[in-house]
Amino acid sequence: MTVGSITVRDVSKKFRLERNRPSSIKEAMLRIGRKSEADDFWVLRDIDLDIPPGSFFGLIGHNGSGKSTLLRLMAGIHRPTSGTIDSEGRLSALLELGSGFHPDLTGRENVYLNGAMLGLSRKQMAASMDSIIDFSGIGDFIDEPVKIYSSGMYVRLGFAVSVNVDPEILLVDEVIAVGDEEFQRRCMSHMNMLRERGTTIVLVSHNTSLMSDLCDRLGWLDHGRLVDVGEPEDVVANYLEAVETGDRNRLTTRD
Amino acid sequence: MPTLSPSVRKSASLIYHFAERESKARYKRSLLGWFWSFMNPLTTVLVYGFVFGVVYGAEAPPTSNGNAENFGLYLFTGLIVWSVFTGVVNGSMGWLIGVSDLRKKIYFPTETALLGGAAANAVQTLLEAVVLIAIMLVLANISWTLIFLFLALTFSMLFGLGVGFIVSVFNARYRDTQYLIGILLNVAFFGVPIVYTQKLLDDGGVDGFLRVVLDWNPPALFVEISRDAVYFLEVPQWNRLLAAAAWGIITFAVGWVYFRDQSMAISEEP
Repeated sequence: MTVGSITVRDVSKKFRLERNRPSSIKEAMLRIGRKSEADDFWVLRDIDLDIPPGSFFGLIGHNGSGKSTLLRLMAGIHRPTSGTIDSEGRLSALLELGSGFHPDLTGRENVYLNGAMLGLSRKQMAASMDSIIDFSGIGDFIDEPVKIYSSGMYVRLGFAVSVNVDPEILLVDEVIAVGDEEFQRRCMSHMNMLRERGTTIVLVSHNTSLMSDLCDRLGWLDHGRLVDVGEPEDVVANYLEAVETGDRNRLTTRD
Repeated sequence: MPTLSPSVRKSASLIYHFAERESKARYKRSLLGWFWSFMNPLTTVLVYGFVFGVVYGAEAPPTSNGNAENFGLYLFTGLIVWSVFTGVVNGSMGWLIGVSDLRKKIYFPTETALLGGAAANAVQTLLEAVVLIAIMLVLANISWTLIFLFLALTFSMLFGLGVGFIVSVFNARYRDTQYLIGILLNVAFFGVPIVYTQKLLDDGGVDGFLRVVLDWNPPALFVEISRDAVYFLEVPQWNRLLAAAAWGIITFAVGWVYFRDQSMAISEEP
């Protein structure tokens, strides 16, 4: 397997939705003998996907289609219920607000912690600290606990860390939308720079025009199934068509 | 260190991070810093020493040269080993909860949080051990058997981690596990010869199955080894050493395997 590639084989992911799930031993004891009210919910079904090194891959789909779950599986946060996911190389993920930040630690401490989680030494992180602070525009807040940060600051620092640790694979969920226009533009240019350096990037977004601009290839997830993979223009066209058909159907049924 | 694999190096730096954070959290914002870390065992030794040694008139068993015959010291030699075990078991539940939010957003080997916390506890214990050894030096009640103290502490730590690996996973699912464990540990405290002596059990005619449990339960073995090492200055019985090692290593291994298997599910807890 080459560095920077992601291989997804027959991956399915099931979450258990338990109503009135006991949260204590006491409750669990009181419920012995009663049938548990649990539903299995398949978030992803039979996903097969190869993301070659150095590619810029986009995932689109409506809310709840499983995009973020697939990204989390790639990041190793969840384990697939069946199938395998393999990724090769240093993987940095920017998944949601405050991804990987501990609220009580300062920005600087969190940068070191994140570095340690990515396998980078304190020395290596110290070397890129200035460029991280600079890129994030956090300024003196770097020595304040991140719990007092605004959502914009969270994302900016998170992104700054993710792109400055020299990742071989970068996973980005829809978070950059939180930053302002200027920051978004900086993110885009930085992602382009990483792409030129050969980093594999997987991006999740609803923004179809942005996705067709940025990505080499797109995947479209619908209710946990990968319904289309291919050239961005084609996938976006198919996706939009489906959305419009869905809208029309909904309108007609309402009448 | 080029020989270390990247994943080992990564785990090592995470363990260091969590250990550092645990130590800092404990002593930050306290002017007297480490002083407080000695207050807990010290007050326990003083209070129990007073209640059992003075009020109840319990007699400390004789030491080799009679210098250290003191109920407080008898307590200390047992308590230091017991608190390694309870410190790690109680701590592990909090350490895992402390990183569970983080683990939902980024992958890292979760066991590093527990190992880091345990490392911070180990440093604390070593400082207590230094105090204990210093006292014994002053009283000239010391011998090479001292090395068995460190063996007892290690086994106690391994056993505590093994139990901690398991109960912390339970606690992530059922948050009242920590209260249950607290109660169980309070009961278990009296299953270990810390405030009482073997002689007391002999005199009381405790025998049969109960006596076997009292003599051979893991914390009791660790405590007895520690007593032999720094109080009686005797070489512990080899079969007790073997049993203690087995309890420590097997429990750690079982807990480790269980934790590795279950800790992936922590990111899916609501």
